[in-house]
Amino acid sequence: MKNAFSKLFLTPLIVLVLASFAMAPVAEAAGGGGHGGGGARAGGGGGGARQNVQVNNSRADVRTNNVRSTSVNNVNVNKNVNVDVDRRGGCCNGGWDNDYHPIATAAAVTATVAVTSAIVGSMVRTVPPGCVPVNYGGMIYQQCGSTWYQPQGSQFVVINPPY
Amino acid sequence: MFYKILALGLLAMSLAAPGHAQTAPAGTAQPAANAVDPAAIQALKDMGAHLQTLKRFQVSTELTGERVLADGQKLQHTATADMDVERPNKLRALMVSARAERELIYDGRTVTLYTPAQKFYSTVQFDGTLGELVKRLEDRYGVEVPLSDLFLWGTPAAPLDKIESAMNAGQDFIGKDLCDHYAFRQGKIDWQIWITAGSKPLPRKIVITNRGDEARPQSVSLLDWNLKPTFKDSVFKFTPPKGATAIEILPRKTK
Repeated sequence: MKNAFSKLFLTPLIVLVLASFAMAPVAEAAGGGGHGGGGARAGGGGGGARQNVQVNNSRADVRTNNVRSTSVNNVNVNKNVNVDVDRRGGCCNGGWDNDYHPIATAAAVTATVAVTSAIVGSMVRTVPPGCVPVNYGGMIYQQCGSTWYQPQGSQFVVINPPY
Repeated sequence: MFYKILALGLLAMSLAAPGHAQTAPAGTAQPAANAVDPAAIQALKDMGAHLQTLKRFQVSTELTGERVLADGQKLQHTATADMDVERPNKLRALMVSARAERELIYDGRTVTLYTPAQKFYSTVQFDGTLGELVKRLEDRYGVEVPLSDLFLWGTPAAPLDKIESAMNAGQDFIGKDLCDHYAFRQGKIDWQIWITAGSKPLPRKIVITNRGDEARPQSVSLLDWNLKPTFKDSVFKFTPPKGATAIEILPRKTK
């Protein structure tokens, strides 16, 4: 417990330290995310014109994210039957079609909420300074110390760490 | 009480046995349940062999998938993918779903994952066939290539000897195309495929049902083909657009 507490205490410090060193990329990252919301469909393929607006999931019920672990990806035949897929405890990792990150599963979530003040499932317009954009499992996230955000339209949703 | 139940059980068994014996021969020489129809397996082989002969093509898919909530309620989602392909080692795929639009570009040497909305891209050096790319992205990065089956069927990476049930389910139209419909079972997965009838078999529809979850989440993929594409070789080359930022792609972590 003591260990966990000091870890939590450390995280904001690390974020602060990182932030002071890396102000420029931070601004860029946050800005990039924000602009993303403009959401013109760029480039490629075809598929015909889709209405040029971003989806808005801010009114979606939180229950929609409570996906159970047996509900696994099943989009490609051979991946299902011939690959020993490591499910990694998540619900739907790796499905190219599935951009829903489970945000309401881990029991430990509530414990960290008070400290980090980034409640899993909550929406923010911009990510805090110090965040680093990373690609994990083919999806873009903003990693901010121990807090992770997933872009959602022009906003970001706080998620459980994807790994 | 106990004897009563036992007696009922015996009665039920004695009733069931002759009943079963009578109904079984009534069918018209149907193969036994769960038999693997060799013709259905052969249809997969023929389709796989034909897929491997396609050198340059476009294929797109419209997919409906399902996820199951904690209480068993199901939600559907949709996604599309448009792919330009040149065997053995070139691919451009645009993947669009509600919250994300992504591109996967492979020119035989470099793989790029690009998200136009944020203008983030990640690159990885790799040289191999598209089938090898599918495996590499999955194993190392947990990234799934849309319609990856198209690059595996007809190769040893898609073995057909573990299928526990295979049957011909008749014919059906997908769009304007007459298709042969087959149904398979393997492990906890049931799957169906609609393959265009004739000498150039192509998959037009794929349905996968996961019996591992009692809610049986299912995905439905419709495939559209263009075997005479007009795209240029340059589509396989990624040049970072102005203002794009390179970001790291993390290898998948195992829990």
